[in-house]
Amino acid sequence: MEKETRYLPHELIIQILLRLPVKSLIRFKCVSKSWFSLISHPNFGNSHFQLSATQTRRILCIPNSPTKILSIDFESSLNNDFIDFESSLLNNDFALLNPNFSLVSLQIKGSCRGFICLRGSSNLYLWNPSTGVHRQIPLSPFDYELKDYYFGHLYGFGYDQSRDDYLVVSMSCDPTYDSNSSHLEFFSLRDNTWKEIEGTQFPYMNASSHPYPKVGPLFNGAIHWLARRCDLQVYVIVAFDLMERKLFEMPFPDDDNIPTHCDLWVFGEFLSILANDYNNNMIEIWVMKEYKVHSSWTKTLVLPAFHSFDLIYSTKNGDFIGVEGFLGLVKYNDKGKWLGYCSYHRNPRVSQEVMYTESLLSLPGDDDQI
Amino acid sequence: MAEEKSQASSSKMLTLKASDGVLFEVELNIAKEMKTVQAYIDDCEDIETIPIPNVLGKHLAIVIEYIKKTNEEYDAEFEKQWNMDDLQLLLLAANYLNISGLQECLCKAIAKRIENKSPEYVRKVFNIENDHSPEEEAKLRKEYKWAFEGVDKD
Repeated sequence: MEKETRYLPHELIIQILLRLPVKSLIRFKCVSKSWFSLISHPNFGNSHFQLSATQTRRILCIPNSPTKILSIDFESSLNNDFIDFESSLLNNDFALLNPNFSLVSLQIKGSCRGFICLRGSSNLYLWNPSTGVHRQIPLSPFDYELKDYYFGHLYGFGYDQSRDDYLVVSMSCDPTYDSNSSHLEFFSLRDNTWKEIEGTQFPYMNASSHPYPKVGPLFNGAIHWLARRCDLQVYVIVAFDLMERKLFEMPFPDDDNIPTHCDLWVFGEFLSILANDYNNNMIEIWVMKEYKVHSSWTKTLVLPAFHSFDLIYSTKNGDFIGVEGFLGLVKYNDKGKWLGYCSYHRNPRVSQEVMYTESLLSLPGDDDQI
Repeated sequence: MAEEKSQASSSKMLTLKASDGVLFEVELNIAKEMKTVQAYIDDCEDIETIPIPNVLGKHLAIVIEYIKKTNEEYDAEFEKQWNMDDLQLLLLAANYLNISGLQECLCKAIAKRIENKSPEYVRKVFNIENDHSPEEEAKLRKEYKWAFEGVDKD
């Protein structure tokens, strides 16, 4: 029986493609020129991103400088597949155009909508590992002044949905220079320039532990950091509202027993703190039941400590994903039960990891990409 | 008067005529799930036989069955019975008849079936001609090497 040649109309092809994961769509750019245009089009990337059912999360790792950049899928239970991005980064246009580019000094500063914000020795980069789309951004004027070894500097990256704009935020406080204030600057991708926010800011330093300051979680349209108020010598949460473009502060939970080594992240629907109590070998999880309401900090879980665990994020069903020493990625459930691991050799003194969502999104003004 | 004739509108029957002449008697509330049919009824109230020129009897039968039985469990098993050809024809039918639930179910099913396949396989499925030059295609395959790993063999 002869098969009739049939062509599905364009709108139906789109409906099918929107339900595919990013990896398949990147591969299918090869199918034909029209599929290439369709999949590469910003509107398609936007529609695809909105369909949250297809959003896949991976972990980007720079385990040992300077050799590798890996991307690992740790959420799908079988097949933890690795992508080695090093060769594609080094062959990529932005490496070739910038003679100073090297993997050696790359620091992860944020992750938002499929884009990773990286700080190199002389530039910042926004990079979408799935599509290869990238943009080079100058360092903030005050960052440029700071010494290279200064890790207290706060950096953040987020999205302002009211303007469809991406912002890189920089807070510079050099306590040796002026211990009572910091400089708050932000770079808007649409404006393509750094601006300083007028007015004195309190002197904040990044309080998250070494090796590199942790990426500030995005929550409720703001970037959050664990910070230290140099003038008051206390720990606080400081946040930058991406729409209002304003800084605000939130105190820690009121508990004299709060240990100082903490992770700040988004746990389910709440801003949370994971506090490591090394003395008692326990982990306390605090949750801010009502955002910005200090008294709503509630201790919700106490678990036996995970062995030298550094939290990256928690999955939709409440599992904790983090890294452990030299091993690699590990997963625990919310009862503290060890669920599995994914090993890649990492150097705990320099390794950096961040979670990102795969996306096909473009950056504003991508048609005239540098 | 139409109102006096029938008690509940659900007891009224309608006839759908497929492209190959096969006739289906369906209850009005089933037929109304097909928004195209609903629009037809809205336009001509007294109609009793509605022509469905784009859909074969075989597929119309499946569509009607789907509307009657659809629920989470049924939907999960539904697509497993059909080959890729039928899935596409059913999608065309669901699209023409404007049944959003079925369209969604079929799009998901087709996507699932091609998710881990090669570009060659996908071209065959959708009858697409490869108009990339060999150099262009090679460049894409090199640039996105990672996306070609772990793909099902054709």
